Amino acid sequence: MKSLLSFTKKEFMEHFRSAKIIILTGVFILFAIINPMIAKFTPVIIEMLSESMQGGMEITAGEVTAMDSWLQFIKNAPMALIVFMLLESSIFTKEYQKGTLVLTLTKGLKRHTVLISKTFVMLTLWTAEYFMCYGLTYLFNNILWDNTVAENLTFMALNWWILGVMAICLSVLFSVIAKNNILVLAGTGGVILGSYLIGSLPKIGDYMPTLLMNSNPVIYGLEEVSHYIPAIIIAVSISVISVIVSVPIFNKKHI
Amino acid sequence: MDMLKIENLKKRFGDKEVLKELSLTVPEKSIFGFIGKNGAGKTTTMKTILGLMKPDEGEIFVNGEKVVFGQTSTNQYIGYLPDVPEYYSFMSPTEYLHFCGEITGLSKAERTKRADELLELVGLKGETHRIKGFSRGMKQRLGIAQALLNKPKLLICDEPTSALDPVGRKEILDILMAVKNETTVLFSTHILSDVEKICTDIAFLNEGTVAIQGKIGDIKSTYRTDEYIIETETEKELRVLTSAFTHLNQTGRTMLKFKENQHSLFEVMNFITDKKLPVLKIERVEPTLESMFMEVVKK
Ligand SMILES: Nc1ncnc2c1ncn2[C@@H]1O[C@H](COP(=O)(O)OP(=O)(O)OP(=O)(O)O)[C@@H](O)[C@H]1O
Ligand SMILES: [Mg+2]
Repeated sequence: MKSLLSFTKKEFMEHFRSAKIIILTGVFILFAIINPMIAKFTPVIIEMLSESMQGGMEITAGEVTAMDSWLQFIKNAPMALIVFMLLESSIFTKEYQKGTLVLTLTKGLKRHTVLISKTFVMLTLWTAEYFMCYGLTYLFNNILWDNTVAENLTFMALNWWILGVMAICLSVLFSVIAKNNILVLAGTGGVILGSYLIGSLPKIGDYMPTLLMNSNPVIYGLEEVSHYIPAIIIAVSISVISVIVSVPIFNKKHI
Repeated sequence: MDMLKIENLKKRFGDKEVLKELSLTVPEKSIFGFIGKNGAGKTTTMKTILGLMKPDEGEIFVNGEKVVFGQTSTNQYIGYLPDVPEYYSFMSPTEYLHFCGEITGLSKAERTKRADELLELVGLKGETHRIKGFSRGMKQRLGIAQALLNKPKLLICDEPTSALDPVGRKEILDILMAVKNETTVLFSTHILSDVEKICTDIAFLNEGTVAIQGKIGDIKSTYRTDEYIIETETEKELRVLTSAFTHLNQTGRTMLKFKENQHSLFEVMNFITDKKLPVLKIERVEPTLESMFMEVVKK
């Protein structure tokens, strides 16, 4: 337990000293600002364009509400997750490449401690950064408009968070198999892309974790929350299994 | 008891057989020199001891416990300094040692005490810069400090002196000498003078097997020949000697060499005393590690 704590302390120290935390926080704040901004200015831009097209057709943009900003949130969430994965995908492989785990592990530190610690650090960062972004978007929307037009906002937010958790757990599995972070990204991305493609098929699509990417119907109140439960259960199962399977593989990995 | 026992270790990379039935025994409290030329398989052997590499065949016991590949509990007895040690370079040496102390379960008081002692021992006391900017010598010295932190029963150093200048080398050797009462030391090298200076036991690794191993004194006595050297003051005395003893070989301007079975040493010494010949030295030839190593490698 104590060794888990000190290894985790080392991970956070590394994140702070390498400025990763600052970059992540900056990016997630930026997303929180961009969501309402795009919603607010899209009609203005459209109007300007239609005016410049002399004698052109009349485009009347509908009134902007918080709903537009939340749709942007759902649309931009993949970018946020991609940035997160790009920054964190080397959390294991950098240690393999540099050889820094050799001394740590030959000191008798249990390999599963390393694995649990790194998984925990990524999940913590994802949770903190993601909900900060959600919270800020919520705040800006409330200032500019009224959040009550959208339904099930917390549920929508949880959906995307769960998908992020699954991506992180998959990246752990690929990190104990692969030697470099390109393979980690390719593996994780591949599984999610696969799920997305299968998700476009009828029926089976409802069971794919990538269903969680599309929460638009929920916030319009057009879809029941229960519709997402199977996909959530599957995403959580994939996450748990990925981490559990990683332990024995990591125990026999060439470091 | 033996601190380390390797039995019939085999390892091949592709079609290259690097270790062929390597067996080795390191007794407790020895400073064990593991000698072999470049590519002999020293690093491979050491990595296998630490469970970092999987042998094709053979078994290893550390402190009586069997080593398994990957996660192995035997590492708790070992302090390891790899050939190129890599640290978390965003830390200062003190931070790094505290981190190492924490993961091995030392208490805070112990950690602080050990870190201070060891940084003093390796001459990095008061070094507050991050490891990032360290020279090789500094990294090597920090490597010894981290390896000794939790008072390991077995200290394994992979070529700790190879990359260093003479001053750096002497510092490392002094440190190894200083810890010999606390731990067993196994270190690999191809610098024979280092071995000569500090080792109690040696093993020559050649072509994947251990060619010779044992106490350095025992090995030397088996290789010792009854050969003597006489150095005279001038060439005049040398000529007096060579005319009296036919089998004296001249090996230098004032140097002579002979074997006990050619002339008795005391006969020659008697002659020198009788004639009151001034000589600089009379010496029995000691086999050097170098000559032994060459002989082994040649075979
Ligand atoms: N991972 C590997 N894959 C293929 N061959 C390897 C590998 N590791 C080592 N070898 C080969 O095994 C042989 C022994 O290497 P090793 O590093 O053990 O030698 P060494 O005695 O430590 O040499 P040096 O004095 O140069 O450090 C070399 O010929 C090397 O090419
Ligand atoms: Mg080597």
